[in-house]
Amino acid sequence: MSNTELEDDLRGTLGRAAASVPMATGLSDRATSGVRQARRRAWMVSGIAAAAVVAVTAAGFGLAGRGATTEPPVAVGGATSQPPQPTEQAPSAKTVTGTWNVLQIAGQKSLKAPRPDNPVLRFRTDGTWSGSDGCNGIQGTYTIGQRGEFSAKAGPQRLIGCNNVPHSDVLQSAKRIAISAGKDSDTLAFYAANGHELARYARAR
Amino acid sequence: MEFEEYVSARGQDLVRLGFTVSGDYQRAEDLAQTALMQAFRSWRKVRGADDPHHYVRRILVNEYLAMTRRRSFTEAPTADVEPHRTVPDPATDIVNSDDLWHALQELSGRERVVLVLRYYQDLDDHTIADLLGIKPSSVRSTASRALATLRRTRQSHRVDERLS
Repeated sequence: MSNTELEDDLRGTLGRAAASVPMATGLSDRATSGVRQARRRAWMVSGIAAAAVVAVTAAGFGLAGRGATTEPPVAVGGATSQPPQPTEQAPSAKTVTGTWNVLQIAGQKSLKAPRPDNPVLRFRTDGTWSGSDGCNGIQGTYTIGQRGEFSAKAGPQRLIGCNNVPHSDVLQSAKRIAISAGKDSDTLAFYAANGHELARYARAR
Repeated sequence: MEFEEYVSARGQDLVRLGFTVSGDYQRAEDLAQTALMQAFRSWRKVRGADDPHHYVRRILVNEYLAMTRRRSFTEAPTADVEPHRTVPDPATDIVNSDDLWHALQELSGRERVVLVLRYYQDLDDHTIADLLGIKPSSVRSTASRALATLRRTRQSHRVDERLS
């Protein structure tokens, strides 16, 4: 067997193996919550240590009766940045119902690449969504809150590899959506928990 | 790019990379999650890098290599798919029956990582060397050794099949 033949086979084997990987869910939440828990523990330890130092100091120097109070530890710099609030009107299951074409997804540059299927996303009023990632059918369920809070789950799907459009990842990462009525078409935007836009879709005609 | 945007765009790629190097779905998710947690801790620095994905990929493969060096590490010889995790797919059958995939599991961790980065991620030897912190000549010799092992393993399998 030639080296080239073996190398080609290796590419095929690794590609098929990668395509067989089930869609992982909640990666972002798991990674951030793990780090935040560790940070919270560190804050608690440092807060307790700071309180202990203040107590010892107050006792040592007879400052206990002078109104010295200890504040709980707060974030330095007051960096409680509020996520940017979209100006769009919050949607409902009724207004989101229909077929949507992807306009942009953060970090994806090849959305216009040719694919076997049209990578659309469909919402129904019964709380289900479906569509295609370009080469596999996808479906799941979703909920929309009164202020546009959004959550979605993806069901099982075939995982044929191509330039898959990651609709499922967008839906499962999104915490809020908004619809704006445009001149030519409605636009549906998905936002992450921090308010950053994950993806934008246009209503199909 | 914000962290959630990166995970939305590239998270699944990391799990796939984790699977191709480790041969185990559970380990692949663990590797991706560990890499993402480390990246999230210093996201400002990662985001400022020329290629954030290159940075996170480096964390993942080095975490895998560190894992293989630990005493408690045991190789997962096959890639049996948990039936409740996915619907039947032709690709799954190919992975489970592919002799080359099984031969890959016999290689050392570093050999497998080098082949995956070269033939699945299509990285050149200089980039692989940078990712692993070794010399390009070491990448070439590791790849050459790994390919020779794969060829031998494959040939012996074929002889066995003919004899049986």
